[in-house]
Amino acid sequence: MKIFVCVKHVPDSAATIRIIEPKEIGENITFLLNPYDENAVEAAVQLRSEIDDTEVIAVTVGKPAAADTLRSALAMGADRGIHVITEYWPDSIVTARALNAAITQDGDPGLILTGKAAIDSEGFQTQFRVAAMLDIPVATNVGAITLHDDGVEVTCGQEAGGELIIQMSLPCVIGAAKTLNTPRYPTLPDIIKARKKEIKEMKFESLGIGPQDSHMEIIGLRPAVEERRKQFIDGSAQEAVVELIRRLDEEAKIKLVS
Amino acid sequence: MSNESQGGITMNKKYDAIIIGAGVIGSPIAYELAQMGYKTLTVDKLSDAGMGSTAASCAIVRAHYSTEDGVAMAYEGFKYWLDWENYLGNVKDEKGLAKFMNTGSILLKSQGHDWRKVKKNYDVVGVAYEEWSVEKIKAMVPVYDLHEFWPVRRPEDPEFFDESTRMLEGAIFCPEGGYVSDPELSAHNIMRAAEIRGSEFIFNVEVVAVRDNGERVTGVTLKDGTEYDASVVVNVAGPHSYKINQMAKGVWEGCNIKTKALRHEVMYCPSPEGYDYLNDGYHTSDGDVGIYYRPEVGNMFLIGSEDPECDPQEWVDPDEFYAGKGGPGRDNQLSDAQWKAQCYRCARRVSAMTIPNQPRGVADLYDCSDDWIPIYDKSDLPGFYMAIGSSGNQYKNAPVAGALMAEMIDKCEKGLDHDKDPLQFKLRHIGRTIDAGFFSRKREINYNSSFSVNG
Repeated sequence: MKIFVCVKHVPDSAATIRIIEPKEIGENITFLLNPYDENAVEAAVQLRSEIDDTEVIAVTVGKPAAADTLRSALAMGADRGIHVITEYWPDSIVTARALNAAITQDGDPGLILTGKAAIDSEGFQTQFRVAAMLDIPVATNVGAITLHDDGVEVTCGQEAGGELIIQMSLPCVIGAAKTLNTPRYPTLPDIIKARKKEIKEMKFESLGIGPQDSHMEIIGLRPAVEERRKQFIDGSAQEAVVELIRRLDEEAKIKLVS
Repeated sequence: MSNESQGGITMNKKYDAIIIGAGVIGSPIAYELAQMGYKTLTVDKLSDAGMGSTAASCAIVRAHYSTEDGVAMAYEGFKYWLDWENYLGNVKDEKGLAKFMNTGSILLKSQGHDWRKVKKNYDVVGVAYEEWSVEKIKAMVPVYDLHEFWPVRRPEDPEFFDESTRMLEGAIFCPEGGYVSDPELSAHNIMRAAEIRGSEFIFNVEVVAVRDNGERVTGVTLKDGTEYDASVVVNVAGPHSYKINQMAKGVWEGCNIKTKALRHEVMYCPSPEGYDYLNDGYHTSDGDVGIYYRPEVGNMFLIGSEDPECDPQEWVDPDEFYAGKGGPGRDNQLSDAQWKAQCYRCARRVSAMTIPNQPRGVADLYDCSDDWIPIYDKSDLPGFYMAIGSSGNQYKNAPVAGALMAEMIDKCEKGLDHDKDPLQFKLRHIGRTIDAGFFSRKREINYNSSFSVNG
């Protein structure tokens, strides 16, 4: 079985993004494998260990530098990569078309995994478009995957903490949530091994796709201003800790695990 | 405003000494001067003691330096860290006390360190050490791969990934070494100890002028216009040291050795699964791959660079760095290339270490001198002193530097011509006397230096 994992080269969430007028960001920052895609790669590698004759193929659409992200996926255990190289910003329509073309050309997808979202554009579209183009089912925000003989059962996180359990036929597209697993990070021997793994390069043009196929255009970028608001807690250390836990729990919605 | 009005005339508040910078070296200078009866004021741009480049220090306590006096001073420093509470006069700090984590310190014998010179210096100074064979290292630290990987390379160089068939020779182990759990807290501890003895500290203030009367220094002026008077001013401004020197008449020009700010990064990588590096690991200097590492909370390896020649150096304006990087010393951003360089180098030694895709660590500045040896000295402006150019290697020496500077200041103020007849400073604990002229601003570049964080 072939498991394709769609991965994206995104800016590090810790990076200070600088906007270069009118609509580009400074790229002299760290870019890395989209964090949700790490969960997708991990799930693919785990599934490979459960199913005989399974191959994990990481696919990306992006500039030449996106090869680094493919290497990260290969170091985490993917067997080989496909890089659809583009020099311009592709919207989710074009991205999905390119992924679809690359996957179809490689052939015979058994399962397609990706992160539930990319942390840069957060368009929440590509996975659905890929599924629609391939005419296969899709589920996102997936926290558990169980393969059966006749398909796959997934658990999808819902708003307000609920869960939706869905049965899908294969092939299908699955959008990984953070809760799906804990991604394994590579050791240096894994990284060295990944340097020798195959990455097939494809040009957009060779897939019959061009800038004219984009239906969306970025007309401007504005920086998101993150406001840090200090809060002071009075009282003794003991009282302050109790109050801090209450605020984290009730206001910041952070659950503390003892 | 501290200026006091008396009979319609505004009087500046007066001190015996003003110290610019409440880091881990400025604070002990205040503490030692206060114990000698000086009324001191310490001013700092940030909001508390130790919040500048001190906070980003790896706070390594090791004795291997390239010169005898360097080893002696560091070894003297051990004694302060090992007896921290007594040094502080058993002061209470509401934040708690910094803790010396006495892991012991491994210096791998490699072509990256002149370890034979270090060993000779250890013998002369009387530093306690053991020689470890490769087998002994392996028994003590099973996760280390003891192949030799020299010369140091960057991952951009394909040869970086070549396998090695050569082995290292062994190591010199110094059982009294280690690191301090919280460098920022250690500076805070010293501030509290100094305050008990009458020292004053003010924060969130910026010095914009160092005043003089044509003959000697007379005080400092803050950005808000407040003036403080003192016949002694000490520059301990860390990465801003050269800017402060430039404010004092003739001081910068009178230094043969200059300082400037160098960007530096340290990384966190998780320890290999099953290995409790935090509790079982050692601080290790690994010149073979151009890095050093020590345990960090969360069972992490904290990985610093020994500045190998193949690495680029980024000299920056400290004001621009701190203004543009999202906050001093904390949430600055690592560069991807350096993240890979330092983590991959560490992973050559610890091959089971996993390397996250997202860089984690700290970027901050070294206050670097031309030969990476600090300047502990007077200046060409009488009354103006400096403890600068710590180059990332003086944290461990901070209490010693405090004592040395205080004695130098006191003796110079009482007539010592330190330039002609340098202070001979007796180390309190180990009894050795060092020539403080070694740290002179007038020295020629010391080519015995490693020209790196190793000092």
